[in-house]
Amino acid sequence: MSVPILEARNLTRRFHGLTALNDVTFSLAQDEILGLIGPNGAGKTTLVSLISGTLPADEGALLFQGAEINHLPPFRRARLGIGRTFQVMKPFPGLSVLENVMVGALFGFQGGVESRTRAREQAEFWLEFTGLQHRSEQRAESLGGPDRKRLELAKALALRPKLLLLDEVMAGLNPTEIDEVVLLVKRIRDEGVSILVIEHVMKAIRNLSDRVFVLHHGEKIAEGTPDTVFADPRVVEAYLGRRRQ
Amino acid sequence: MTKSLPGLLLAASIAVVLATVPWWNNAVLLQFGINAVQLAVMAQAWNIIGGYTGSPSFGNSTFYGLGTYGTAITMVQFHQSFGLGLGVGALLAVIVALLVGIPILRLRGPYFAIATLGLAATVGAIFANLPIAGENIGLVLPLTRDEPLFYELSLGVLVLVTLTVLFIDRSRFGLGLIAIREDEDAAAVTGVNTTLFKVTALAISAFFTALVGGIHAYWITFVDPSSSFDPRLNVNMVIMAVFGGPGTVLGPVVGAFILSTISEVLASSISTAASLLFGIVIVLAVLFMPKGLVDLGYGFRRLGWRYFTETVRQYRL
Amino acid sequence: MLLMQILLNGILLGGLYGLMALGMGLVWGVLNIVNLAHGAFIMMGGYAVYFLYTSAGIDPFAALPIAMLAMFLFGFAVQYGILNFIVRSALLNTLLITFGFDVVLTYVAQLLFSADLRTINPPYAGSNFGVLGLTVPVVRLGVFGVALGLALGLWLLLRMTRLGRAIRATAQNLIAARLYGVDPRLLYAVTFGLGAALAGAAGGLFGLVSQISPYVGATLTAKSFVIAIIGGLQNPLGAILGGIFIGIAEATSALYLSPTLVDVISFGLLVVILVTRPASSFRAA
Repeated sequence: MSVPILEARNLTRRFHGLTALNDVTFSLAQDEILGLIGPNGAGKTTLVSLISGTLPADEGALLFQGAEINHLPPFRRARLGIGRTFQVMKPFPGLSVLENVMVGALFGFQGGVESRTRAREQAEFWLEFTGLQHRSEQRAESLGGPDRKRLELAKALALRPKLLLLDEVMAGLNPTEIDEVVLLVKRIRDEGVSILVIEHVMKAIRNLSDRVFVLHHGEKIAEGTPDTVFADPRVVEAYLGRRRQ
Repeated sequence: MTKSLPGLLLAASIAVVLATVPWWNNAVLLQFGINAVQLAVMAQAWNIIGGYTGSPSFGNSTFYGLGTYGTAITMVQFHQSFGLGLGVGALLAVIVALLVGIPILRLRGPYFAIATLGLAATVGAIFANLPIAGENIGLVLPLTRDEPLFYELSLGVLVLVTLTVLFIDRSRFGLGLIAIREDEDAAAVTGVNTTLFKVTALAISAFFTALVGGIHAYWITFVDPSSSFDPRLNVNMVIMAVFGGPGTVLGPVVGAFILSTISEVLASSISTAASLLFGIVIVLAVLFMPKGLVDLGYGFRRLGWRYFTETVRQYRL
Repeated sequence: MLLMQILLNGILLGGLYGLMALGMGLVWGVLNIVNLAHGAFIMMGGYAVYFLYTSAGIDPFAALPIAMLAMFLFGFAVQYGILNFIVRSALLNTLLITFGFDVVLTYVAQLLFSADLRTINPPYAGSNFGVLGLTVPVVRLGVFGVALGLALGLWLLLRMTRLGRAIRATAQNLIAARLYGVDPRLLYAVTFGLGAALAGAAGGLFGLVSQISPYVGATLTAKSFVIAIIGGLQNPLGAILGGIFIGIAEATSALYLSPTLVDVISFGLLVVILVTRPASSFRAA
C-alpha cells in the first residue's frame, strides 16, 4: 500500500484577492487518520471544500488513489468514494432523518443503489451505527446539536466512502459525547476508511490521529505525530499569539 | 411524501368522474373544465421543476408558447396532422429546455427566476418577428368543433403528468430532486449529479407544458405572440401550484381547480372587485398556509387550529 | 450629434431608473425580500406628488419629501404588520405575497384614480437650455439631480450613521445583529419603509418625465429588478450606474432597432450578465 489515498500538492485558493490557502502540500495514507488543526480562519474548511470539490482550486494538484481529481465536479468525487461532513451542518431540512441518509445510499459510491428499498435498508443500518435509529422518522431540521452531528456522519457513511473528511464533528459536544464519537471514528477506520479530521478539541485529536498537520493563515506550518506537533513552538504561537518579549 | 392507497383510489375515481363531464350537457361547465384542466397541467408540470427541484421557473410560458407555435406551424404551414403538430411542439420545447437549461440552471433562486422570465420574453419576441409564425398577427388553425375531444385530451394529459409526478415522488430520481431543493451543495457532495437532474426535470416540465399548449392552440384555433407567450400564465401556474402544495403529488391539481373556480365565481358575480379579492386571497394564503393546501390538510388533521399559529411562528421574524 | 443627444437623454433618464432600483435593491439585499409590488409603490408615489401639485399647488420637487414620508410610513406598516410574519419562509412566498400586494394596489389605484394617464406639468416643464450644442431639459436635469442626491444620501446613511450600520449588520448576520441590541422587527420595518420612500420619490420624479397610470407598476418592477441585479444589491452607486447603463441601452436601441425590442434588450442583457458573471459574486439566495 504505497500509494497514498489522498495527495495534495501546492494547493492554492484565493477569494477576492485574499489568499485562503497557499501552497499546501500533504498526503494521507491508506487507513490513516490524519488530524488537521489550526486557529480559526486558518483555511481548514476551505481545504476540505477543495478536496470535496465544492470549491475549485486556483493552483495545485489533487490526487485521489493516484489519479488527478481537480477537474471533477463534487458528485463525481462522491461517487469515487470521497465523503464529507459540513461544519455548519447541512441536513436536508424537509426530509426525515432516514430519508437524509437514504440520499447518500442512493447516490454514493459508484452511483449508489437503484432501488429505494435497498437504500432504506442501508440507511437503517447506518442510523443504527451512529445511534440515531430511534429518530429515523423525525424531520431533520428538528434535531438537536449532537444528533445533527450524528446525522451528518451517517449521511457521509451511507456513501460508503474510502476517504472521509470530518469537519469539526465534535464541536459543542460534552466530554462523554466526544468519547463516543472518538470510538465511532475509530470503528469507521477499522472498516477500511481513511479519515481526515478537523478539530479544535485537542484531546480528541490526540486520541484519534496517527499524524497531525497544522494550518495557519492558509499555510502548513507543522506536521508530525500529535506529541511532536503540540510541542512545536510555532504551533503554540499560532494559537496563543506571539509571546511578548 | 408518499400517498396512501385510499388517497390514490379517491384520486382515480375523481378522475373517472371528471372524464364524464362532456356528457353532463353543460357547455359553460365544459369550457370552464377545459381551461381548468389545462391550467392544472401547467401547474403540475411546474411542480416538477419548481416544487420538487426547488428551481422557481417564471418562464414556463416559453414552453407553452413553443407548444402552441410548434403545433400551429406544423398544421398551417406544412399541412400536417394535429398529432404530428403536438409532437413537434413538444420536441421543440424539450430541445430548448435542454439547450438553455444548462447555463440557466446554474443560477440560484431569484436569479434563475428572472433568467427564465427573460427567456420567455426573448423567445416571444423572436416569434413575433418570424414570417413563418405569422409575425405579430400569428396564425389561424383549422377549425374543429369538438369540445369533448379537447376536454378528454387535456384530461388525458393531466392524468399522464400526474402519474409522472407520482412516479417521480417515489423514485430515486425524485429523492435526488428533493435533495437538490433542500440543499444543492450537500446534494452534490452526496453524489447527486445536480446538473443532469435539474435539466432533466426542466425538460419533463417543458414537455407537458408544450403538450397542453398545442392542445390549447388547436382548441382556440389561433396563435399569436401575446397570448402564446403571455407572462401572466407564469404567475398563474406558480400561484396555483404553490397554493395547492408544491412538492406534493396532487397539490397543484387541487390548487388549480380551486383557484380557477374562485376566479370564475368572482368574475361572474362581482366582476369589478374580482382581482382585488384574488389579490387578497393570495396574501392571506401565503400568510397562513405557505406550504399549500395539501400540507394544510395533513397539518390541520394533526394539530387543528394550532397549525396556523405554528406555521406563523415558524416563519415569522 | 443626434447620438450625443440620445446618449444624454439616456443618461438623464438612467439616473431615475437607478433611483427606482435603489429601493428594490436595498430591500432585497438587506431583508432578502424581492418586492414585486415595488412598481406599485412607485406608482403610488407618483399619484401622491401629482395630487399634491394639482390640488395643493405644491411644487413637485418640494412635494417629494411629503410623498416620501407618507410612503415610508406605509412601507413600515406593511413590513411590521404583514411581511415580518413570513420573512423566514421560502423566497418564493415573498414573491407571491408581494405579487398579491401588487394586484390589490393596482386595483385600488384604478378604483380611486381611474385609468386616465396623468402627467405632472409644472410651469417650467418645457424649458431647457443648451450646452455644447445639446438640449438639456430643465425638468430632466432636476430629476437626474434628485435621483443622484438621494442615492448619495442613502450611501451616506448606510456608511455613516448608526442606523445605517445597524442595517448593514442585520444584512450580514441577523443573529449577531440581535446580540448588538438591534430589534430586527423594527429594523426590518424601517428598511422596508426606506425602500418604499425611495420608490415614492422615484414615482414623483417619474410623473415629471412620463405618464402615470395604475398599470405602470409591472414594467417598472421588472426594470428595477433588472437594474438592481446588474448594479449589485446593496450598492447605491452600482444602482445608479446600472440605471444609466440601461438608460443608454434603451435610448440607443430605440434609435437603431425597433422600439418593441427595447424591453427584450434589457432582459437579454440581464440573462447574459447573469450567466457569465462568476458565481461567487452573488449573495447566496
